[in-house]
Amino acid sequence: MPSWQDFQPFIVSGLALGGVYALSGVGMVVLYQATGVVYLAFGAVGAMGALIAWSLIQAGAPGWVGWLACVAFGGAITLAYGMVFGPALAKRDPLVKAVATLGLTLVLFGVMDLLWTTSGGESRAITLPTDNSGFMVGQVQVNWTQVIGLAVGVAITVGIGAFLRYTKLGTAMRAMANDREITATLGVPVRRVEAAAWLGCGVLAGAAGLLLADLVALDAATLTFLVISSLAATLIARLRSITLTFAAALLIGLVHDLLTPIQSLTNYRDMTPFVLAAVALLVISRRRVMTASREET
Amino acid sequence: MLDVADRTASARQRWPPRRPDARTLARAAVITVLLLFVLLALPQLLSLYYIDAMTQVAVYSMVALGLGVLVGRVGLVSLGQVAVLAIGAWVAARLLFATSMPYPVVLLEAGLITMVAGTVIGLPALRLRGLYLALITLMLAGAITVVLATVNFPNGGHGFTGYNGSSVHIPPIRRPSIAGGDPAYFRYAVVVAALMFLLAWAHIRTRPGRAWAAIRQSEPAALAAGINTTLYKLWAFALASFITGVAGGVLAGAVHYLYSIDFPTQDSITLLAVVLMGGAYSLWGAIIAALLLQLLPALLNNWGVSADWLTILFGIGVLQVLTTAPAGLADQAPKDLARLGRLLLALARRLAPSGGTR
Repeated sequence: MPSWQDFQPFIVSGLALGGVYALSGVGMVVLYQATGVVYLAFGAVGAMGALIAWSLIQAGAPGWVGWLACVAFGGAITLAYGMVFGPALAKRDPLVKAVATLGLTLVLFGVMDLLWTTSGGESRAITLPTDNSGFMVGQVQVNWTQVIGLAVGVAITVGIGAFLRYTKLGTAMRAMANDREITATLGVPVRRVEAAAWLGCGVLAGAAGLLLADLVALDAATLTFLVISSLAATLIARLRSITLTFAAALLIGLVHDLLTPIQSLTNYRDMTPFVLAAVALLVISRRRVMTASREET
Repeated sequence: MLDVADRTASARQRWPPRRPDARTLARAAVITVLLLFVLLALPQLLSLYYIDAMTQVAVYSMVALGLGVLVGRVGLVSLGQVAVLAIGAWVAARLLFATSMPYPVVLLEAGLITMVAGTVIGLPALRLRGLYLALITLMLAGAITVVLATVNFPNGGHGFTGYNGSSVHIPPIRRPSIAGGDPAYFRYAVVVAALMFLLAWAHIRTRPGRAWAAIRQSEPAALAAGINTTLYKLWAFALASFITGVAGGVLAGAVHYLYSIDFPTQDSITLLAVVLMGGAYSLWGAIIAALLLQLLPALLNNWGVSADWLTILFGIGVLQVLTTAPAGLADQAPKDLARLGRLLLALARRLAPSGGTR
């Protein structure tokens, strides 16, 4: 068993990873609440944004142009998807909506493989200027990207929470989460609120992609399917509470990284989100009563 | 899940079954001729490259059949079928290395063990429905992929995992003695696949199929009608896992060497995409799905086109199927062809008199 010393650096990296998972998870919960769509293309959008940023930076553009392009791409492609397929699938089962976003995932994944081929064995990396500077906590080196990871997670959770609670648009989104039809009858511009949710979710996807590309790896497949980990956090929160999503994301990030120094479990640490989500779902569903109402999911 | 095509699927299920009429006989004749053509003529016509591809088509038609039963018949979406296939392949490979049992027995055992594994996983998951079930199967598939990457596929080593760390002297996974060569193994795979389709067909035409149809329409209504929904949902999971496990066994012999990177989680997503494109409501859809998934890449590879275009195509295909054509190609293609035929006929009629008079 490794000593406490060995675990310390992984607490930092785990919290940073958890913060970015929280960022993704909160984005997905907000979109699900407003539109009923589980956005499974979240990771693919972020990955492609990060690859675009990488290409721009390679071509000599200053770093901030690349980062901005990444976030803008996330917002644009997500908004476009939402505008085209959102209304077309609005009345369908949540499952159909989720599977449709898998279609977008496949398209983006194919495009990424086509444009940024991995066959050459060329390794890409995005380095943020915050990587190289940092400070010490006790004996642990902390870099600013890790701080940003956690801070962005906290800020987004608090910010979105306040936004949903206090602003008019946020109230409209919460109303739509309850009932889209009635909200529309009350004079809320449903389409516009949905568009705002899509755009916001896409921007978060771009930001998450950029941070994960730095913290984890800039690789299309890795980033695309990292979404499953943040999805686990949202599932633990039953796609409802953003606070719970945040807590679950931090837990997943921490457990994942804390397993790293343990020899016998280190190979299995990638199972963390899946196992936690599966257990949580099964515990939650234990006392479920079958109803035929719309709200049961 | 995809509610529009329910009419076509349930209208075919009549009970008690009537005497076979001319239509049924004709269909049986067509299937027999097709099967004979595939078994006898196809291996003669194709090069080894395409025979291998077609063996994969046979394997994946079974996988698609399993998922088609879940999605099309019961309305349960699983995003983890490739992980189930990996379990089947692992069990079969382990048995083939450890014992000298005849191949069909190994296939049966691989199917049964996968069935038990799939059912044990499915039992708690069955409390969930719709979206949550799909997502939890995605989670479980991810978990299985991680375990497989660590445990590795058996390659003739000792112990429970049968993994031999050194990379020299790895024996290939054996094939049945009657089907050592590639054309013979292709025929073998087709026969196994045909048996699995027969098994699924028998289920769909009898009591479980009707129970599944009722559950798909409305689970509360099925429950009220006295259908043991848990039993029949579990039954569907067991059947799908069994078929997929057998497919894994066939796959093990087909490729000789198995690696965990051949079963990535994303393949489960692609599989769902092609099954939806092929048509989840028809058994033909499973064959179309397998052709899309395995023959098209082989063709494109031969033509020097990147397979990434296929991923894009599948993505667009899913979106198209979900928005406009829920019954997939198996339903849409004949209709569209008929429409095209009528259009051409009308065009020919309009052109013919004008061409004749002038």
